[in-house]
Amino acid sequence: MGELFRRIVYLLNRRRMDAELESDMEFHREMAARAGRNNFGNTLRMREQAREAWGWTWLDRLIQDLRYGVRILARSPGFTLMSVLILAIGIGVNVAAFSLFDMVALEPLPVRDPATLVRLERRSPNAYTDGVPYTSLLFYGKNARTLSAVMGVLGVPPMQVDDDLQQATASFITPNYFTELGTRAAQGRLFDPTRDGTANDAPSIVLSYGFWQRRFSGDPSIVGRLIHINRKPATVVGVTPYAFASLGSQRPDIWMPIAQQPYFVEGSHTLTDSGDSAVRMWGRLASGVSAKMAAEELRTLTNELRRQHPNDIWDNEYIQISPGGHLQVMQPEMYQVAALVSVLTLLILAVACANLGGLMLARAVTREREIGIRIAIGAGRWRIFRQLCTESLLLATLGALTGLALGCTVLRLALANSDAPKWLSATPDWRVLLFTVAVTLAAAMFFGLAPALQVARQRQQKTMARQILVGAQVAASCVLLIVAGLLVHAAQHALYTDPGFGYQQLVSIDAQLSQHGYSPAAAKAYLDQMQTRLRALPGVRSVALVELPPLGHTVNRRTREIDGHNIFVYPNWVAPGFFETMGIPVLMGRTFYPGEKNAVIVSQSFADRQWPGRNPIGQAVGDGDSKDMVVGVVGNARINALSDDDATEQYWPAQPGDMPEMTVLARTAGAPDSLPPVVKSISENLDPKLFPEIRQLKVLYHDNVAPVEEVAAVVSLIGMVAVSLAGVGIIGMVAFTVSQRTKEIAIRIALGAKPVQVLAAVLRQFTWPIALGMVAGTGIAAAASRVLRKALFGVSNLDPAGYAGAVAVLVAIIAVAALLPARRALHLDLAKTLHYE
Amino acid sequence: MPMNDMPKPGMPSGALPMLILRVLQSGSLHGYAIAQRIHVLSSQVLGVEEGLLYPTLQKMLAKGWVTAEWGVSETNRKVRFYRLTVAGRKHLKAELNDYDRVTQAIQDILRTA
Repeated sequence: MGELFRRIVYLLNRRRMDAELESDMEFHREMAARAGRNNFGNTLRMREQAREAWGWTWLDRLIQDLRYGVRILARSPGFTLMSVLILAIGIGVNVAAFSLFDMVALEPLPVRDPATLVRLERRSPNAYTDGVPYTSLLFYGKNARTLSAVMGVLGVPPMQVDDDLQQATASFITPNYFTELGTRAAQGRLFDPTRDGTANDAPSIVLSYGFWQRRFSGDPSIVGRLIHINRKPATVVGVTPYAFASLGSQRPDIWMPIAQQPYFVEGSHTLTDSGDSAVRMWGRLASGVSAKMAAEELRTLTNELRRQHPNDIWDNEYIQISPGGHLQVMQPEMYQVAALVSVLTLLILAVACANLGGLMLARAVTREREIGIRIAIGAGRWRIFRQLCTESLLLATLGALTGLALGCTVLRLALANSDAPKWLSATPDWRVLLFTVAVTLAAAMFFGLAPALQVARQRQQKTMARQILVGAQVAASCVLLIVAGLLVHAAQHALYTDPGFGYQQLVSIDAQLSQHGYSPAAAKAYLDQMQTRLRALPGVRSVALVELPPLGHTVNRRTREIDGHNIFVYPNWVAPGFFETMGIPVLMGRTFYPGEKNAVIVSQSFADRQWPGRNPIGQAVGDGDSKDMVVGVVGNARINALSDDDATEQYWPAQPGDMPEMTVLARTAGAPDSLPPVVKSISENLDPKLFPEIRQLKVLYHDNVAPVEEVAAVVSLIGMVAVSLAGVGIIGMVAFTVSQRTKEIAIRIALGAKPVQVLAAVLRQFTWPIALGMVAGTGIAAAASRVLRKALFGVSNLDPAGYAGAVAVLVAIIAVAALLPARRALHLDLAKTLHYE
Repeated sequence: MPMNDMPKPGMPSGALPMLILRVLQSGSLHGYAIAQRIHVLSSQVLGVEEGLLYPTLQKMLAKGWVTAEWGVSETNRKVRFYRLTVAGRKHLKAELNDYDRVTQAIQDILRTA
């Protein structure tokens, strides 16, 4: 410790210390001279050696190198600017992508003790749902010793506020929700278990900050105001904070205590039905408890639940525990997407680095003299190598700072233009900074190491290095362009081809009859009335019933193994008129008869997989004792999995018992925009307690497709940037080759070579790297894009159009980039070139 | 460089700090005097070169075995005198013990083998 301290003192007082040392040695010399001994040693060198004892030589050298590096870079501002820009793009894209991942999956929520928050979901080897029955939640909450708290969120369809035209989104939550998160109210108070824990407490609601501002213009006297939710009076007790961090980034307009759900949703049995997995469950691990311990205890509790409700618990069911203290609860598929995105962004960095490596190599030639001189006057190769590395690092740092600024600006703009939670900030945190440092070092290594080694060794094997760099750039650009091509094609496909059902003129009307405790008979009466009245409207062409409406809130999916492949089956329960109303063609057989049982209609895709080459009509479907007969085959219509080409569908006839779950579908003759108000008044007339959710499918469809379009646009932009970089890089390298071989080319022309032969001579060294790069890039793209399959809206990840388009664009750009500078070789001034020297 | 300033063969590596500490035991000296003293005391067998003496002294300063303070030389020049510190004294003692043990061991082998 003392030694380090003394060293630091030496560092801080180095000028004085050096002077003292100099004086000592001078005196030594004087005395030696007196004694008649002359010393001819290099005093400066000796002093340097003595100073090395202080242990700061490396710092001196670093500062020297940096100073020299700055001078060198300042002397060629064009090169410096270009390099910093290239790197800034490469690093900026990566920083932005990582920041996004950091926000979503790494940054802890700004709530109390986020590390112990967990998301709890029902799983079994072949079933999954994101909710649990409220009764189970209470059971786990009461009995789990490994959890210090269990929170629940019951999302419900939008609710009617007073007489507003637009409904408000709403969630019911357990009363410990806000207290567990440590949220403080912006106005009034939030729920707490002592005041909002039972159905007997006064009905109270909490508003979101945004809704308070929007709907009540931030009225400061909002607390205590009586408003009506679904016609039921309730008191506003408070407002959540502006930058509120909620679990699973749920952001409804209105929060209500779950105990009062039966009050607001009249007739609902959700809280008592042990088979209704409606509530999303969250927990907080007790102190010192690991997720594994909690999982074991919950498994025991699940088995206990099975004894109580044998029909409601699956075989081998368990509660899956995942970290819940982040913006997003990451599922395995999301990590796949994250991995894919990181591969793409790292490719851009690779292109940028390969590009810069090419620039550095070209520069190395112009610096040969300078370095030769430095070696001649005694600089060691190691020292030269270090000097060059320092320069690379300096460049990389400049690039990284610019890139960091660029990435954060992009992210800030994106955050400001989206409805992201307000607590998110684009300011880089330590993880992002660490990542930036790591990426910068890797980049400096990649673009700086090879040139530095070659220069320091003073070897002239640069052709090989150039070829590798060109190949790498071409391969990376190729991957990016292909992925961009696939996404663009998918977006086009989604927008301009038929998804298998007509969505332009469809309206779905979900009255949530079961939520309001309707009996099957009452539901049937309501639905019949509704259908009859709708049919009577002049603009309505046809009406039908469906249990899981297209693009609805609930998705039901089963996994089925056929010939060793897992395929997803989306089941649905429909009334006979469903296919006509949806515009789904019946390809074989027939649709259901009214009141039919034990029949099933499958989609073409299911029939092709299950019975390839055989007649599907008359085949049996179903596991166990209840087998249903296939009566028809209909066209593929991924009504609840738009983007998934692997999805298949099965339809069963809806039975009288299913009526409370059914949604009405109406197809209009013209635009459906005028229908919703009419439906609202019909429903009001039929039962004023109901507030059906009326949704136009074309709006939902565009909401579903829009993200893909955006992603396609962003990836295309990034791909074009990468290709432009690669193009500029190739122009540079070819131009350089031409300038190096001017004399040779001039001699060839003088001896009568044809232009084609001259061009071939110049470009030959790049042909193989480019070809290999393309092959490698295509291969990588084909392998990596498998992850994308489910997001491509039915476009294959080996889609020839996407690949051909991408490769064509790449070939065109490379051809232009190579031929432009190569052409110069044809217009040489022969006499001048050959007389030179 | 003149031959007489080259380190003489036979100067055991690592011995210089010990010798410096030893000659400083009797009082503070400036750099040249340290070299002279070692030269003289070794009956002119060991010579300490400038290029070795000053790096070693700097190292010892950093280790805290010696300190330097300004004084006036016999030629009336302002010069730094090196003085042994408590840590230096302790280190010297340990070094001497080690050295004695090792030389004793070597002697034993040479005598009996």
